[in-house]
Amino acid sequence: MKALWQSIKYGYSSLCRRRLYLICMIFVPLLCCLFFLSLLQEGLPVRVPTAIVDLDHSSMSRAMTRNLDSQQYVDITESAESYDAALGAVRAGRVFGFYVIPANFQRDALSGRKPVINYYSNMTYFVPGTFSYKGYKTLAVQATASMVQEAASEKGISDRTIEALVKPMSIDINPVHNPWTNYSMYLTPSFSAGVLELMIILVTIMTLTYEIKYGTSRQWLRNSHGSIILAVTGKLLPQTVIFTITGWCMQGLLFGISQFPVLCPLWVLALSMPFFVLACQGFGLMMSCIFPNPRFALATGTLVAILAFSLTGFSFPVQNMYGAVGIFSYIVPVRYYFLIHIQQVLNGTGLYYSRMYFVALIIMTFLPALMLWRFKHACIRQQYVP
Amino acid sequence: MFPDVFPFIVNSPGMKFMNYIKRWFSSLARVFAREWHLVLHDQGVLIFFILLPLMYPVAYTLIYNPEVVTDMPIAVIDHDHTAASRKLVRDASAAPTIAIYDYVPDMAAARDLMARGEIFGILEIPSDFGKKIGRMEPTHATFYAQTSLLLRYRGFMGAIADVQIKDISEITASRASTLGAAGSALSGVPIGNEAHMLGDVEQGFASFVMPGIVVLILQQSMVLGICMLGGTSRERRRRNGGIDPLNIPGAPVSAAVWGRTLCYTVCYIVPALYLLHFIPVMFGLPHFGNPVDYLLFIFPMLLASAFFGQTLNYFVTDRESTFIVIAFTSVIFLFLSGLTWPRYAMSGLWKGLGDAIPGVWGVAGFIRINSNDGTLFENMTPWLWMWGLTIFYFITSMIVFRVVARRETRLSRSTVTSQS
Repeated sequence: MKALWQSIKYGYSSLCRRRLYLICMIFVPLLCCLFFLSLLQEGLPVRVPTAIVDLDHSSMSRAMTRNLDSQQYVDITESAESYDAALGAVRAGRVFGFYVIPANFQRDALSGRKPVINYYSNMTYFVPGTFSYKGYKTLAVQATASMVQEAASEKGISDRTIEALVKPMSIDINPVHNPWTNYSMYLTPSFSAGVLELMIILVTIMTLTYEIKYGTSRQWLRNSHGSIILAVTGKLLPQTVIFTITGWCMQGLLFGISQFPVLCPLWVLALSMPFFVLACQGFGLMMSCIFPNPRFALATGTLVAILAFSLTGFSFPVQNMYGAVGIFSYIVPVRYYFLIHIQQVLNGTGLYYSRMYFVALIIMTFLPALMLWRFKHACIRQQYVP
Repeated sequence: MFPDVFPFIVNSPGMKFMNYIKRWFSSLARVFAREWHLVLHDQGVLIFFILLPLMYPVAYTLIYNPEVVTDMPIAVIDHDHTAASRKLVRDASAAPTIAIYDYVPDMAAARDLMARGEIFGILEIPSDFGKKIGRMEPTHATFYAQTSLLLRYRGFMGAIADVQIKDISEITASRASTLGAAGSALSGVPIGNEAHMLGDVEQGFASFVMPGIVVLILQQSMVLGICMLGGTSRERRRRNGGIDPLNIPGAPVSAAVWGRTLCYTVCYIVPALYLLHFIPVMFGLPHFGNPVDYLLFIFPMLLASAFFGQTLNYFVTDRESTFIVIAFTSVIFLFLSGLTWPRYAMSGLWKGLGDAIPGVWGVAGFIRINSNDGTLFENMTPWLWMWGLTIFYFITSMIVFRVVARRETRLSRSTVTSQS
């Protein structure tokens, strides 16, 4: 017990000796969280810059242009003379899409010759591309419906029949638990957790392997009576506390100050943090055991933690990845935290459904115990490879 | 003999200037050669400069290469059990993004499936769905989509809209025929509309994200390698009383930073070609632009990134802290580049910060040249910005070079005194 206490004191003081550690443990995760919050604070990037190509210049085409500009998702910033000019504006990045009203549009529409409206969305940027597409399509469908309605009332068909003809069936889409389809609400918590994971893994590896780099690992082991378990525990426990507090502050920023909805009891939210922190530390320790050399371990840790942003399926679902690739998402702790977050915070399903993810986090925490002997050997050998 | 005969020429300001130029260029060449040697003999740096650009884009593309989200399982709650409701389910199941997981009796059962993560959407058809179609009344169904991933939500939205349009046109056609002559005039749609996707025609995820990612990999791997070299040099300085024995003595600071920059840029000719040309070709990503355009375009970004890396060296005090200082910035730069959140919707602060990152301009321009078949001329703005950043970071890297030298001198003295 006394040895453990001594080891914790050693770990704590070695942490305080370098300012970089404290910056990386507290400020970087919190600042990144604030960065995401501030960047995505509007929730949805509406008002996509758009060009209009009006080749008709009729009252009808002008009315259509006005309607397009009043769409929620679209902002007409440019009026182009031709298709080529509008495409040039896309290639120069001034607009993300354009809407072409053909020549003789009004004449053809009124005489039943079925003019065709073409609209172009630049899908090289998904979000503006999708929103411009949505805005253009809505306008085209609305314009068609209003023309049908006009023609029908001219023929003396009752409004009720017209409605049954124009919109006989509809499927309402309800985005469950995020009715605003707020981008930030699902992106910020997961990306902040990803940054926290990256920092935990890197700090863990760095503090452990630097004992070898600076030739203090033997002294460190002696300090905890030669027990690698005590030495590692003493070194990592102060970090667990600091990271957990940082994580709680992060959750406070997200769910307290920014008022993101939480559909589970707050203690469940808070409980997931220490489990996540411990699992990330376990992951870092595992890396240090496999490669007891600062550069190798840090390079591998960085590689995995940065790839984790993609592998975890924050944006592209794991279910749709190649099986051989998707399977790797289960070796990173943030995947389980992310699943717990979805189930508990976003969907409020009750702790029962997430039990296995907690078990996975616990396993990840204790898995490196199997490899600790390797790290102990390296500590005794105390050989630094640059 | 020459100086004895014309002493006034040797001491003239013009000649001094010529001598300085000569010395500057010879230092530049020596710094270049020394840095080349250091890069080749540092395994860690070689991993950043060669292995990382080689492997990372492959790993990323493999993750995203399925491109589109298909067959997302949904549950159906059919309260109606008519031919009309079954047709709706058939049409939904025909959509490539949707797969019917199961029919369930009520909402509670569907919610349980959703909680288990087995389905991502619920289609509920009310009991009067078919009756209303028969009665010529507007009829409704409801779809509940999980929003934990916007890509899934987007897929559901598109699929449901398509199903809706198909069924509407069928119902309208059949109703119009019952109305007789008056109806037949209405059955045709008066205006046609056609949607066209630019750049990423199939709306695939890898095709959207990879052209941006490769440019960021180019910048970040270079910055990581430079900081590792810089951190190692700082360790040497600390050990040797503030002097890096592997530096070229007497080289002007501007020549020292330019020599390094040229070395790194030369190192990156092959990786740049591989990332910008071969990765899109290998994985069938959009790849339209003219190689001359995008290679000329990326050149100032390589220069600017090299100076940027030497500037960031200020924060990297030893070899391995490169990772902890630089790694997380990749995520920040990814967001600043506007790939996930467009730059026009950013606040002035973040837009301004993004303006100062070479890769942000590189991503914007390269995507337009590569995916939209733009030209260098059309992307003059980002190109000139990157040249501007080259000059800016050239100046900051000179300042950092001096500051770091002074600080390490002080640090090494204080350790020497504390040891003695």
